[in-house]
Amino acid sequence: MNRPATRLVPLIITLASFAHADEARDATFYNARIQPVLARECYSCHSPDAAKLKGGLRLDSREAMLQGGDAGPAIVAGKPAESLLIQALRHEGDLAMPPKKPKLAANIIADFERWITDGAPGPTASANTAEKKGDPRQHWAFQPVKRPAIPAVRNAKQPANAIDAFIFAKLEERGWTIAPPATRAEWIRRVTFDLTGLPPTPDEVDHYLADHDANADERVVDRLLASPAYGERWGQHWLDVVRFAETEGYEYDREIPDAWRYRDYVIDSFNRDKPFDRFLTEQIAGDEISPADQECMIATTFHRLGPVRRNAGNPEIALSRNEVLTERTDIIGTAFLGLTIGCARCHNHKLEPISQKDYYRLQAYLAATDEHNIVLASEAERKTSEAESNRFKDEIAALKKRMKLTTGPERAKLETELESLEDKMPAPLATIPATWNDMSHRTEIHVLKRGVWENKGEPVGPRPLGVLIAESEPESPANLTNPRTQLAKWITSPSHPLTARVMVNRVWLHHFGAGLVKTVNDFGTKGDAPSHRELLDWLASTFVENGWQLKPLHKMMVLSQTYRQSVHSPIAARAEVADPENRLLWRFNRRRLSAEEIRDGMLMVSGRLNPKRSGPSVMIPVDAEMVALLYKPSQWKPARDVNEYDRRSIYLFAKRNLRLPFLETFDAPPLLTSCARRETSTHAPQALELLNGKLANDLADAFAKRLEHEVGDQKDKIVERAFQLAHGRSATAEERRLSLEFLRDQSLKEFALAVLNTNGFLYVN
Amino acid sequence: MRDACCGFGGLALASLLQEEAARAGTATPLSSKPAHFQPKAKSVIFLFMAGGPSHLETYDPKPLLNKLHGQKRPNEFGEAKYQFVQRDAKLLGTKRTFKKYGQSGIEVSDLFPHTAECVDDMAILRSCHGDMVVHSAAQYELFTGRVTPGFPSVGSWVIYGLGSESQSLPAYVVMPDPKGALEAGQPMYTNGFLPAIYQPTMFRPGSRPVLNLERTAGVSDADRRKTLDLIRNLNRATLDPGDQEFSARINAYDLAFKMQSEAPDVLDISHEPRETLELYGVGDAVTNDYARRCLLARKLVEKGVRFVCVVSGGGTGNQQWDAHSDIEENHLRKAAETDKPVAGLLKDLKRRGLLDSTLVVWGGEFGRSPEAESGRGRDHHNLGFTMWMAGGGIKGGKVVGATDAIGLRAIESPYHLRDVHTTILNQLGLDQHKLTYPHLGRNERLTFVEGKVIREIV
Repeated sequence: MNRPATRLVPLIITLASFAHADEARDATFYNARIQPVLARECYSCHSPDAAKLKGGLRLDSREAMLQGGDAGPAIVAGKPAESLLIQALRHEGDLAMPPKKPKLAANIIADFERWITDGAPGPTASANTAEKKGDPRQHWAFQPVKRPAIPAVRNAKQPANAIDAFIFAKLEERGWTIAPPATRAEWIRRVTFDLTGLPPTPDEVDHYLADHDANADERVVDRLLASPAYGERWGQHWLDVVRFAETEGYEYDREIPDAWRYRDYVIDSFNRDKPFDRFLTEQIAGDEISPADQECMIATTFHRLGPVRRNAGNPEIALSRNEVLTERTDIIGTAFLGLTIGCARCHNHKLEPISQKDYYRLQAYLAATDEHNIVLASEAERKTSEAESNRFKDEIAALKKRMKLTTGPERAKLETELESLEDKMPAPLATIPATWNDMSHRTEIHVLKRGVWENKGEPVGPRPLGVLIAESEPESPANLTNPRTQLAKWITSPSHPLTARVMVNRVWLHHFGAGLVKTVNDFGTKGDAPSHRELLDWLASTFVENGWQLKPLHKMMVLSQTYRQSVHSPIAARAEVADPENRLLWRFNRRRLSAEEIRDGMLMVSGRLNPKRSGPSVMIPVDAEMVALLYKPSQWKPARDVNEYDRRSIYLFAKRNLRLPFLETFDAPPLLTSCARRETSTHAPQALELLNGKLANDLADAFAKRLEHEVGDQKDKIVERAFQLAHGRSATAEERRLSLEFLRDQSLKEFALAVLNTNGFLYVN
Repeated sequence: MRDACCGFGGLALASLLQEEAARAGTATPLSSKPAHFQPKAKSVIFLFMAGGPSHLETYDPKPLLNKLHGQKRPNEFGEAKYQFVQRDAKLLGTKRTFKKYGQSGIEVSDLFPHTAECVDDMAILRSCHGDMVVHSAAQYELFTGRVTPGFPSVGSWVIYGLGSESQSLPAYVVMPDPKGALEAGQPMYTNGFLPAIYQPTMFRPGSRPVLNLERTAGVSDADRRKTLDLIRNLNRATLDPGDQEFSARINAYDLAFKMQSEAPDVLDISHEPRETLELYGVGDAVTNDYARRCLLARKLVEKGVRFVCVVSGGGTGNQQWDAHSDIEENHLRKAAETDKPVAGLLKDLKRRGLLDSTLVVWGGEFGRSPEAESGRGRDHHNLGFTMWMAGGGIKGGKVVGATDAIGLRAIESPYHLRDVHTTILNQLGLDQHKLTYPHLGRNERLTFVEGKVIREIV
C-alpha cells in the first residue's frame, strides 16, 4: 500500500517548493508538514501538554523522537521502514496511531516517510523554536545570573558608572550617543518626583542650583532617599504589584480589617531599606519565622490581598477554598517570580514550561495557609465593644422582626432605621489581618483536572517549579512543617534566576520609563527579551551582593549619565526611525505624572498637603451616585475631619468597588490584578477633571491664597513664585508675558488653575 | 445670548475652531476627512457581547445537536481545540426553541423575541471564525485584528481614517459594562501606535457618563474661556513641534470645553419621550443599564459620533456571556438584559432614518462549544460562530454562511474576523489597503492578512 503513496511524494513537494532538497535539510519542511500534524494528532498524549504522557514518549522534538519511549526510539533517521512512528501511522505493527481513529491520509504519512528519509531534520538547538519547543530550561531568564564584565566604552565621554558603560556600549554599536544632559533644574525635579512622588520645593531647587560642589547631586539623592516620602512613593509601586486594596471585591466587597497596617508596613520597609529578601520572606512566611513579631504578622496580610468571593446561602467550602488558594498561588508567580503561572492551573501551561503539576506543587506550600485576624485590643476594650455590639445586635434583631410584619412606607421607615442602627455599631477592634498555618484544616492539594476543584487527580506535595530546579529534586511531604519558610528560602535564594532580575527591572522601569524587560511581570518564554541583558544581570548580581538593598540601586541609577540626559536628542530624527521605543535609551523618556503624583503635587503646590503619615485609611467624599452603586452604600463613610482629605493619595481608602474618580481618570490601576506598569492615557475627561473638578478648583483657590500670602500683590512676583512652585523653575519670558497679561483683568484663582493645568506641571522632563 | 446659557457654544465655538485651524495652518487631526470611496455608513455602533455568546442558543439552530446530546462528537466533524473542554467531552443539546421571524423567515431563538422582530433588517453571519480560543487574545483580535495587545482598535482606525463629524463630542466612545473590566482590558479599545488623539473616550456608568461637565460655580463662561486660552498659550510656549503627546493634551482641552457646552444635552436621556424610554427598556430593572447605553449610543451617532462600542458583560466570567458552568442560567440572564435594548436601538434608528447611515454590529470574541463543559456549560469556541450586522447599507433579512450540522465549524462561506473588519471599513468607504500608518518600518493596517468584503450582504 505504501508504494504508490511514496511515489507521490516528490511531486507534492515539488509543487510546494522548487527546492525541496534544500528545504528538507533545514526545519522548514518539519515546521510546515510534520510539526502541525504532530501537534494536532499526537501532542495531547505525547508532549509536555499531555495530561498523562503515554508510553513515556514525547514527539515534540527531534531529540525526543530519536530517544523514544517505552517501546524504543520512535524514529530512526534515514530509515522510515525501521521507524516505529511510521509503523504506527501505517497501522502495521502492534501500534495503530492516532488511537481509535482512522489512518491519517496517505499523503500525510508519505510526508513523514520523506522527512525521516531525509534524516528527520528538525529545528537546530539554537533556533528560537527549539528553545521553546525543545528545552525550555535554556530560556535566558531561567539561567543563573552571571555577573558580566563591564564593557569598555570607546566614546570619549567617560561613563559615570557601570550602568552608563552598558548603555553606551549598545549605543556605540549603532554609532549613537546619549542625549546632552538635562538642565540642573530639570534633573532635580525629575529625581525628586521619581524618588518621592512630590515636586521639589523652590528652596530645594535654589539650594541645589547654588551648590556647585562635585557631590551636589549625591547630596540631593541621599536627602531624598532618607525622606519618608521615598517610602510613600516606592511603597505605592509595590502596592500596585501585589494589587493591594482594603476590601475583598466581588459584590460584597467586605473590608479586610485594618488592611492599612500592611500599607504602612510596606512604606516603612522601603524607608528602612529592609533587605528585599527579608521583605519577601516576611510577606511569604512572617507568621512562621516570627509569630510573636507584629511586623512579621502584618507582612502576611500579603496572602489576604486577593479578591475573595463570599457566598450567600450555602457556601461551597471546597470551591471557595480553591479560589482563595488560586489567588494566593498566582500572585506569588506574578509578584516575585515574574511569571504568569495561572494558566497552568487548568492545564499544562500552553506557552510556558510550567506543568499543571508544577502549579499544584507550588500551591501545596500554601495548603495550610489560612486567615488569622489578630485582635490587638486589650481584654477590657474587647469586652466593652462586645457588650455594645450585642446591645445593637439585639436592637437590630428586634427591628428585623418588626420589619417582617410591615409593608410599604412603614417598612421603608424601618429600613432607614435599620441602616442607621447598623452604622452605629461600634467600630471593629484594632486587628492585624494576618495569615497562619492551620494544620488541622490543611487542604489536600491534588492536581485538579481542568482546574475544577472536584476533579481531583494525583495528590502532590510542595516543590518549586520544575523548570528552575534539578529534575531529581524530590517533592516535599504534603505536611511539611513551616512550608512557606521553605518557599521563601527558594524564592530568595541568591542563586534564584528570577527574583533579583525581576525586582531590579521594576526599579529600572520606574526610573527610566520602561523595563529592560518591557514585560515586567512576565519573564517567561513569551515575555519580552531584555534590551540589555548584561546590564540586567549586572544589576541583579550587584543587588544581591549588596545585601538586596534598594537604596544603593536607586542611587546608582539616578546618578548615571543615562538618567541625567535630556528628553531632547540631536539624533532623534534618525534614532526614532530605528528605535522608536527608545529601548537603547538615546534620550530620556519624558513621563506624565502618575495619578497620585498629580493629586499629591497639586496638594503640595497649593500648600494644602497634610503631611500626616501612616494610620487608618481615609475615605473622601465622592459622588452620591457612585456610592449608590455599592452593594452596601453604608460602606462608604467619608472621614469627619476634613483635613484628612488632604493627605497623600497612598493614605486614601482603596476600595475595589469604588475607585476614586480622580485617580481612575489618570490611570490608577483597577486594584484587582497585579499592575506592573501604569498606562498613560491622554483624554478629554482628564482635562474636564482638572478644569471643572472640585479638587482642582479648591486647590487652585488655595494655591492663589498661598501666592498672595507669600509674595503679596506684586504680579510679576506672583507669576515667578507660581512657576517655581509648580514647574520647579523660573517662568520663561514668554510665560511671564502671557501670565501678566492674563492677570491684568483675570482672577488669581483662575491663573492658579491654569498653572496646575499646564504640561510643565503635569509632566516630568 | 446663547453663550450665556450654554457655555462655549455657537459662535464662540466656531470662531475658536477657525482660530485654531488658522494658527495651526491646517485642520485639526480629528476634522472630518473624505472617505476613499462613496460610503454607505457614517457611523458604527458595535454591540460587543463580551465573553462570547453561544451561536447554538441564539441564531444558529442545530437540531442534530439535540439528537446527539450526551454523545461524543462523531469523528466526521473533525477536531477542535478548546480552552478547557477535553476531546472526550459529550455534546450538549440546547433547551432553546427557534422560530421563524419576519418576511425572511430567519430562525431566531426564544432568547431574543424582541430583536427577532428586526430580523428583516439584519444580516446573520453564521460562519464567523477567529484564530484564538482564549478571551484576551480573541478580544484583541476582534478589536484590533491582532492577537497581541498594542495595535489600534477598529474604532481608532476609523476615526483616524474619517475624523469626526462632531465638534462637541468625542469621535470614538466606549461604554463599558459597569459590572467590571474584561480580560483584555483597556488596550483592546485603544489607539495602539496611532497618535494619542485617536484614543477612545471611556464613558462611566450612571446618568452622568462624562464626569465634570458642569461648569465651576462662580466663574463666568467668558472668564473660564480666558483661562483656557492661557493654558493653551502656556503649553504652546514650551511645545516641541511634532510632539504628539503634548498635542493630544492640548486637543483634550479643546474637546473638553466643546463637550462641556453641548454634551450635557446629548448625554441626558431624561428628556426623551416615555415611549422611547420604554422602547429600549429604560426603567425596567433588568434592561435598564444596557437600555440607557443603547439609547445614548443612538443619541451620539445622531450627533455625528463616529464609532460607539456598547459593551454587554464585565467583571467575572459569569457576568459576561462566558457561560462555562451553565449556559441556560447565563444566557437567559444576559439575553434578558440586552434583547429589548438592542431591538429598541434598531427600531429607533430605523424610524429616525438613521439606520441607513449607521452600521450596527453585534457579536462577541467567539462563540461557544457544541460540547458540554462542567455538565451544563459551554466552552469558548472560535471555529464557527455567529455575528450579525444591520443598517449602514447592509442587506437585511439574509443569512450568510453555515456551520456544520452540530455548529462546530464554519463550513459554508466562512468569514474570518478580518472579513468582518474589512466589511465595516467598506461600509464606511474605507479601503483596508489605503488606511495605513507607518510603524516600525511597515505600513500597518487593521487587517493583518487581507480581508474580504462580505459581498452577499453589501
